[in-house]
Amino acid sequence: MSGGVSMQEYLLQGSVLDSSCETLLHRLRGLSDNVDTGPEAFVDQEMVYILRGSQTPPVMLRARRALDQPDSLPWQLRYVGTAEAGIGDKSRSTLVRTCIDVATSDNVTTFLTDMGFRLDHECVVKGYLFTKGCIKVTVSKIFRVTVPGNTENLEPLSLSHLVELSVVSPSGQDEVADTMKLFAEQLKPIVQLEKVDHRRLQQV
Amino acid sequence: MQQREEKQLEAGLDALIVRVKDLRDSIHAFLMKLEHEHQTLQWTSVLDSFALLSGQLSTLQKLVMKEKMPSLQNLIFLPLVLSPDSDPQLETTTEGRVPVFSHEVVPDYLRTKFEPEVESREKTLTTQSERLTPEAAQKQIQQLNNLCDKLLNKLNAASEDWDSEVSASQGSTPASSLADTSALIAAVSFGKGLKPSRTPSQSGPDTPQSQPSPQASQAGPAPGKAPSTIKTNIRSGASSHPYQR
Amino acid sequence: MGVTCVSQWPVPDGKSGQQAVEMLQRRLEATGATKAGSFCVDCETYMSGQSITPSKTAHVMHSTGHPLTCFAIMDSGTCLVADSNFDQLMTKLKGFYAPRKGAKIEVKGPRYEYVDFIVKIGTVTTGPTASSRGILVEVEYTPCVVPNDCWSLLTEFMGTFMGDNKPAIPQVLASKQDGIYSPTDTILQYLEHFNNYRKSTGNK
Repeated sequence: MSGGVSMQEYLLQGSVLDSSCETLLHRLRGLSDNVDTGPEAFVDQEMVYILRGSQTPPVMLRARRALDQPDSLPWQLRYVGTAEAGIGDKSRSTLVRTCIDVATSDNVTTFLTDMGFRLDHECVVKGYLFTKGCIKVTVSKIFRVTVPGNTENLEPLSLSHLVELSVVSPSGQDEVADTMKLFAEQLKPIVQLEKVDHRRLQQV
Repeated sequence: MQQREEKQLEAGLDALIVRVKDLRDSIHAFLMKLEHEHQTLQWTSVLDSFALLSGQLSTLQKLVMKEKMPSLQNLIFLPLVLSPDSDPQLETTTEGRVPVFSHEVVPDYLRTKFEPEVESREKTLTTQSERLTPEAAQKQIQQLNNLCDKLLNKLNAASEDWDSEVSASQGSTPASSLADTSALIAAVSFGKGLKPSRTPSQSGPDTPQSQPSPQASQAGPAPGKAPSTIKTNIRSGASSHPYQR
Repeated sequence: MGVTCVSQWPVPDGKSGQQAVEMLQRRLEATGATKAGSFCVDCETYMSGQSITPSKTAHVMHSTGHPLTCFAIMDSGTCLVADSNFDQLMTKLKGFYAPRKGAKIEVKGPRYEYVDFIVKIGTVTTGPTASSRGILVEVEYTPCVVPNDCWSLLTEFMGTFMGDNKPAIPQVLASKQDGIYSPTDTILQYLEHFNNYRKSTGNK
């Protein structure tokens, strides 16, 4: 619970082909803290809502819930800002953006709709979560939801798993970026984790 | 003169007893560790124990070799009485390991040489090796060396093959694809490829905007899937929150 | 957390709000209740800007009874229960929802315990000048969560120190009947009273 402190997410992203995923999971199992228990498997549904206005830039919020344990975990509502200036800056090793994570009750989708938000898209994310100190590593497969609202009919988006290395911490803790970079080095050459300029991708 | 020697012997034995006691304690601790912690035991800690034991053994050895130590080889240890009855004093000093000082255990505990059987077998082996001429021995050594060399070469070749195979397989099939990385990140960042308009059953890019609006204005029995679940959501949402109590 | 009733306490003519509160406190103490801390419930009201039609209102409320929780209520009635950093999220929506000037309303006062009952006597204040608007009394019967099972007990207890001014059953409780009472229901009662105070000042 962050109270009034503003939090920042440090992020490195990459992907691994399904055929090499097992090798990566094996390596992560050895590198991460959960050696004894193994990685935590998760199945999440993510719904992305957008509030558009004529004069103001649209705001995007992500509502996420665990499909595998729907009753025991709250929904997560997440706001992520755009990447901080200096994405091309070589001295910064990771992408940095503000983020707000809020645990909510399960009527959050109704609430967002009532506020004027519209569902933009949704997906199902299945994967594994590893931790190493404050670093969170997820290896996940992204699924398209073919029938809106039906999380049974799924279609994989690609033949790869998305790999994300992230740390959420109070702003100004730039040394975590170096720790992350070091950890990412140990996953080469199976996966190349880099800071990805999302704006560049949007233009493609 | 004799008194001085006796004193020396006394002091030497005392020192020996102290060292042996140390050794015994470490063996004891090591055994305890093996018995009680074998599930969580780390190999580094086992190595530590071994290092301690070997250190203590070598100090013991040095002590025996010391000049001040009277020549123990010249002394005789003579058991005067053997008894089949249990000896409580012995039992306490040996921590319950040797309860009786009898003819059964004494040969084992006080032995300074091999058993006669072993001794005779050792003797025959020595004489056998002595009969061998230096030339014949040299030949045999060479044969063994040749054999070892050949085996070593074979093993090295096999391991090189294996290494190159592994690196070749890694090099030829990349573990990740740049295009997939971009596609996946674009999807999770702004929904590229995830928007419902892509599904063939619905057409037109405006579907996401136009579709949810009827739900918002009237939460009644609108077409589609959502309204019924929304109603129940309101109620259960209020009661299932983790911070309720 | 048990069944709770929030009601308005009239300030007698010729007396100040402070005097009315003190009188209530004296009566409560006479029954044997002991003072146990203080409480505060606040409500910030956000209005949607021009980009959202029809215009909407969102209330964001906090209660000292649930210090890590934030309650957000849309005018549609949907009440979201969220982590306290939901407030931060609202600042990200400032292009769409802005706090209504001077509409911050707050109720504050002492908290009493009497066996299984908790009584809170609060003075309602609004705006930056914190001008007093009235008095709210909250009575909670902690061992029970089903309104129908304990309303008569609750009303009897309220009679002991509120006399003829004890309230009729609030709408929220009446509609619950044999359902399970939740903290949201308390918040909704406060919101209803806050809205009443706002309306009455609007008429003047």
